[in-house]
Amino acid sequence: MIEKKKGKMTKVMDYLKHEDPFSKGVAFCPGCGLELLIRFIPQVLGNDIVITGTPSCSAPVLLGQNSQSWHKLSYFGTLMTGAAANATGLARYYRKAGIENTVVCFNGDGTAADIGFGNLSGAAERNEPFIYICYDNEGYMNTGIQKSGTTPFGATTTTTPFGSASKGKNLRRMNLALKMAMHKIPYAATATLSDLEDLAKKLLKAKEAKKRGFAFIHVFAPCPTGWGVAPENTIEVCRRAVKTNYFPLWEAENGKIKMTRTVRKPKPVSTYTKIIKKFNHLNEADLQILQDDVDYEYCILGGLSVLEAECQLPVSAED
Amino acid sequence: MNTKVKEKSQIKVITGNAAAAIAAKLVRPDVVAAYPITPQTEIIEQISKFHANGEMDCELITVEGENSAMNAVMAASLAGGRVFTATSSWGLAFMYDAVLATAGARAPVVMVNVNRETPGIIAVSSGQQDMISTRDAGWIFLIAENCQEVMDLVLQAYRLAEDYDIQVPVMVHYDGFYLSYLSEVVDVPFQEDVDRFLSVLKDQPERIKLVPGGKLGCGSHGILKGYLELRHKHLSAMERAKAKIDQIDKEFQEIFNRSYSGQIEEYRMDDADVVLVGSGSMCGTIKTVIDEKRQAGVKVGLVKIRMYRPFPGEAMVGALKGKKAIGVVDRSLCFGFKGGPMYTELKAFETQLDGSKMISFIDGIANTDITKANVGQMIDSTCDLAAGKDVREVTWVSYPEAQEDGGL
Repeated sequence: MIEKKKGKMTKVMDYLKHEDPFSKGVAFCPGCGLELLIRFIPQVLGNDIVITGTPSCSAPVLLGQNSQSWHKLSYFGTLMTGAAANATGLARYYRKAGIENTVVCFNGDGTAADIGFGNLSGAAERNEPFIYICYDNEGYMNTGIQKSGTTPFGATTTTTPFGSASKGKNLRRMNLALKMAMHKIPYAATATLSDLEDLAKKLLKAKEAKKRGFAFIHVFAPCPTGWGVAPENTIEVCRRAVKTNYFPLWEAENGKIKMTRTVRKPKPVSTYTKIIKKFNHLNEADLQILQDDVDYEYCILGGLSVLEAECQLPVSAED
Repeated sequence: MNTKVKEKSQIKVITGNAAAAIAAKLVRPDVVAAYPITPQTEIIEQISKFHANGEMDCELITVEGENSAMNAVMAASLAGGRVFTATSSWGLAFMYDAVLATAGARAPVVMVNVNRETPGIIAVSSGQQDMISTRDAGWIFLIAENCQEVMDLVLQAYRLAEDYDIQVPVMVHYDGFYLSYLSEVVDVPFQEDVDRFLSVLKDQPERIKLVPGGKLGCGSHGILKGYLELRHKHLSAMERAKAKIDQIDKEFQEIFNRSYSGQIEEYRMDDADVVLVGSGSMCGTIKTVIDEKRQAGVKVGLVKIRMYRPFPGEAMVGALKGKKAIGVVDRSLCFGFKGGPMYTELKAFETQLDGSKMISFIDGIANTDITKANVGQMIDSTCDLAAGKDVREVTWVSYPEAQEDGGL
């Protein structure tokens, strides 16, 4: 879990105040980004968080199997359609009953960006007092690698295969984090696994922001199995995603967007795609389409981040 | 103006929806999820008003859809809260996955469903097809006849759902467009009486709750025997609910001086030869017509289904055994069967009825009123059946064309 940076240990260990509540051996694939993330969250936020989650790659471990648990957290296994509403119900009841709580609604991009987006958006609009974390592996990995709304242009999945009439996914990805920031929630951020200190800070900020309402973190979490990445390269993929601006790191406190890591000389997106098999079939022209999409999103983000606009909500969740 | 006199109750003229909303206030819920749909909307409007006026100290979640309404109250219930929500027809369909999950999780949610049709012919109209289409979701279903019973059943529903021996969600149904908007005299209970009625639950062991740091998971993945065990326990709890609702109704009577006799209500059944079986608002009309027929010497009675899930088979057999003929009135369809759903289910008990003959009536769908004339026709047909005459097995009372050319 400790990453070397310029030969020195990072300060990330300082943020790990709590034990890892998970069993040492769990049913995730080697190099799984999701595993690293889900082990990290309770070590930063505490073991008294209540996690809600859905059928997904996280399910076998989080839900347990045949009533046997792989972890010591309070956990609510629920449906993809209503995950944010479940978290809403928990957080609201705890508030009513005066029970101190940190509810973490932990979902993949299939739930967050696709089938469960309606209730995610609804919870954000109502400024519900919990933290929503989306681990984005750009597809439905648990069911065998299908396309989702965050699958990028050109990526092959089992429902967007490469063929004579197809580039893979022929559409662009949606920008979930920006959409969430536009809900004017107290906190929205992106993060990834190559910068755990940044992730830890954002988790703590989300916990603080939760007192004023909804907090959302979009975590880029590669899937070695689904993407065709060597298990030892998961972190390298994250690093390159940041360095190419494919996945920029930023946060929005009270609607004020700020880059948390600015890449001085962004590398071309091909330096990112070349270590991922799902992009192997793309030619230069195809890669340019992906590059254009990355540039467009970054341009929008850059524009927003220089604005001074802020949007502090006067009250906590709708009541 | 009347000065407030401390009495057992307060009389008001209110709609069924208002009765449901006031009942929801009286049970002091922790969390209420609200989303509008015709003909339920008035319920959540009234609750929102209670909340805004400070009369209702609950977390009110104005969700963005029915699916979220059910998901929110399910989770709040599993966390330990008392919850309420209400829906109708398409709303019930939109929350169906969460309805199943709520039952499977044994979350003691109470929901009002104001019955309305759901076929693709967008029928903003009466019918119980929404209820029938969810009957095997694993919820307890109760059906109210009038606005007073709407009020009383919601109160009873909490005693049933949250009972330590039951812990199964309860849906209270009543006919949209009839009871939803119909104003009737309702005896509104006083808060302290409702508190006393519900206080029994506080003396029971505390149910397992999902709390921070509790190291408890719910919604665990289960297969094979572990799953079968939980399903069997669910079924057993549903069986226990039959006697429980009878008991709750007795205790309700002690406090509120009103009784509905539990799973089923029998009307003029003691010496009846011929019986109509029905549910919901039609029963008021049926009772009136029975009184008239009785004056003409026809020995006819009514069995009103109050608890539809679990199906009150034993109670029905007890009431119907040995009767000459039974006509079952359904406000919905049962595809693959000619007769209505309640008729079809009651048919499963036919061998225990000592030769009672049965016929099916389908009526009251899409705002076709179940009029006194219609009920009279049903009673006459059932009498013909009792007399050994040749009678159609299934009659669409308000659509005689169904019987043309041999019909079904």
